[in-house]
Amino acid sequence: MKQFDLAPARHPAPASLEIVPVAEMTETTRAIRLTPEFDVETLGTALDHLDLIIVTFPIFRDGRGLTQARALREYYGFAGEIRAEGHLIPDQAQFLRTCGVDCVLLEDDADTTPWLRALSLFPVTYQNRLGLR
Amino acid sequence: MKRAIRIGAGEALVLTANRLLDGLIVWRDAKGIWQRSIAHAAILSPEDYESALEAAIKSAQSDGVVGVYEVVVRPGLVAAPVSVRERIRAFGPTVHPQFATELDA
Amino acid sequence: MNAPVGLYQYQTADREFLASRIAEFEGQVQRRLSGELSEDEFKPLRLMNGLYLQLHAYMLRVAIPYGILDSRQMRKLAHISRHYDRDYGHFTTRQNIQFNWIKLEETPEILRQLADVDMHAIQTSGNCIRNVTCDQFAGAASDELMDPRVHAEILRQWSTLHPEFTFLPRKFKIAISGSPHDRVAARFHDIGILARPGENGPLFRIFVGGGLGRTPLVGHELFDSVPEADLLMTLEAALRVYNAYGRRDNIYKARIKILVQALGIDGYRKAVEHELSLMDPAHYRLAPETVAAIQARFAAPDLTAAPDAEARLKNDRQSDIAFDRWVRSNTHPHFAPGRIAVTVSIKPAGGIPGDATSDQLDRLADLADQFSFGELRITHLQNVVLAHVAQDRLLELWQALNDIGLGDANHELIGDIVACPGLDYCALANARSIPIAQKLSARFGDNALQEEIGKLRINISGCINACGHHHVGHIGLLGVDKRGEEFFQITLGGRDDALSRTGDILGAALPEDDMVDAIARIVDRYLSIRETGEQFLDTLTRLGDAPFKEAAYETV
Repeated sequence: MKQFDLAPARHPAPASLEIVPVAEMTETTRAIRLTPEFDVETLGTALDHLDLIIVTFPIFRDGRGLTQARALREYYGFAGEIRAEGHLIPDQAQFLRTCGVDCVLLEDDADTTPWLRALSLFPVTYQNRLGLR
Repeated sequence: MKRAIRIGAGEALVLTANRLLDGLIVWRDAKGIWQRSIAHAAILSPEDYESALEAAIKSAQSDGVVGVYEVVVRPGLVAAPVSVRERIRAFGPTVHPQFATELDA
Repeated sequence: MNAPVGLYQYQTADREFLASRIAEFEGQVQRRLSGELSEDEFKPLRLMNGLYLQLHAYMLRVAIPYGILDSRQMRKLAHISRHYDRDYGHFTTRQNIQFNWIKLEETPEILRQLADVDMHAIQTSGNCIRNVTCDQFAGAASDELMDPRVHAEILRQWSTLHPEFTFLPRKFKIAISGSPHDRVAARFHDIGILARPGENGPLFRIFVGGGLGRTPLVGHELFDSVPEADLLMTLEAALRVYNAYGRRDNIYKARIKILVQALGIDGYRKAVEHELSLMDPAHYRLAPETVAAIQARFAAPDLTAAPDAEARLKNDRQSDIAFDRWVRSNTHPHFAPGRIAVTVSIKPAGGIPGDATSDQLDRLADLADQFSFGELRITHLQNVVLAHVAQDRLLELWQALNDIGLGDANHELIGDIVACPGLDYCALANARSIPIAQKLSARFGDNALQEEIGKLRINISGCINACGHHHVGHIGLLGVDKRGEEFFQITLGGRDDALSRTGDILGAALPEDDMVDAIARIVDRYLSIRETGEQFLDTLTRLGDAPFKEAAYETV
């Protein structure tokens, strides 16, 4: 698997962190993997010791990871790295980035060209123009 | 596509799909070619249609079709689908007879 | 070039957006053909560009934002139906237009053609926010409290390619009206918004969790007076709760109405308020300057009319009984003196409800230019509105409509049938809805008879997905499969206005011809037992459905 950056990471996590399922998180955990139904509000002060949070997509059209990422950034000011894993398609690139996802995990042999292309497609969005985000 | 289908006495099956590029309905003939008219569809028995269906689904991408599935028919000069829905799909919308599918295409 | 009246005037940024979207879709088509995208991956993407794979071919649903288009756009739709389809289009119950014989390989070119006139098919399908629908008399009706079109456009922009809400549990439909009479079925939408002027600017009453389909439910009031500045923030919060908690395990339980039902409206509201408490209002504020800038891109027509326009109409009405009748049924009072709003019936007796030929589309464009500043509206009853006709030219318009077969005086009468395409076209249907609609409208074709019967809405759906909105028909028909045969279940007493309710099943399902006869008997019974001035719904309310059930199932 390889990492593809959607944007320069705000605070890229160290490469070799041990990633723990969120249900097994302890005070020393620095990297967790969420499930789509997980309520990020319950992380509370754990966010202080997390460098990496992974949002997961069992299938690309399950958009809950987008809400989780956005809430982590907007509501809780999480400044660490957010990575998306699971079944993703390049066409989601801008949505993921706008919602605060830094990078996605792809197969080693995945072609990154469609991802790069997708990132360049809509330089201006309607939400920007309305003064949101 | 795993769905329960009912096959009555004397009834048989044909394989159908949509063509990817234009969406039109096609029927698989004995040579594995997808034809526009149900008149050319290979008639399959209840016993051995499943393997043909599997093979057709496997080659769907290279054949340029999507949504391959089986239709129960009464064999005849032109196979007649048993259900109203499949008849309309095979022969055309009843409210626009001018759009009826050409059976000898 | 004059700015088009009544609709949002595109600027460069809007056009560049469409160009990006088309480039994106073209790339997706290429990747599908090469196999890089599987059909399962491609399907949601093509749906979000309006392309369905249907019973006979691909169907393209073109967006008509809040139902409004201008004559050049209408002519482009005629062109597309002529060159890429089979010479006709179908107006839908969500104010869009559908073409039934589209090829995937031609779709990028069709989208380019549409983009030439600032049109698209973005988000007309898929699990995302769909076309925001609006009152067909917006900016014209004399009873309107507020013109909702600017806010409809704001909602359209807010919801287009929304980064967080493009992969919802299910489709999401929003409607907005500025009328005291809910003309958009707001209480049957995922979110329905009723706008009104307030002391310090517009206020919005928001309903949530309404819908038809398998589980028809009337929406609940979420908030009664959201100020304009907080409108987008409120909707964001509402959608965030839905995106996070809407069911994804069962597509029949995935709409927001199921979530609201499960949490209760108070529970849902609490969740929304919790989101709101975490959001920074300044960040989501819909600024008056933003609204004004969008308002400025809607040109207003010069509505001055000849001083004797009303008198001339009075005179014209006396000269022609059929015209007089049509004015009674198919016009609506306008706030400007001397003007009137016209509903063009796309329900000719015996015809396919909502279908128009490419010639008719072209002709409607011409008539819009001649009579209504080039502006047209599509209604959720599948008709067309010319909103700003001068009263002294109404007779001329009616005669022109008759020339193209669209002069039926049947608006909101029994011939104004709302029907989905049904089993003739739709892969989801159990029964054909069009033939029974045709039989009914032919049976009751006579305009005088229709006027005699009075307001009576028939809605026909070919299956439980209820795209024909049968639940809210005064008489609703639902196509069902009974032992492989097409049958119709009948409901009575549905309505989608302020007294919204779903109809009650009358009795056993019947086959097509029997149902046509049964409805004829119901109408006869109504005519014989009604009190003076009673409309069908009134008589039904007064007497209950017993007399109608008896009439319907009377054996000969």
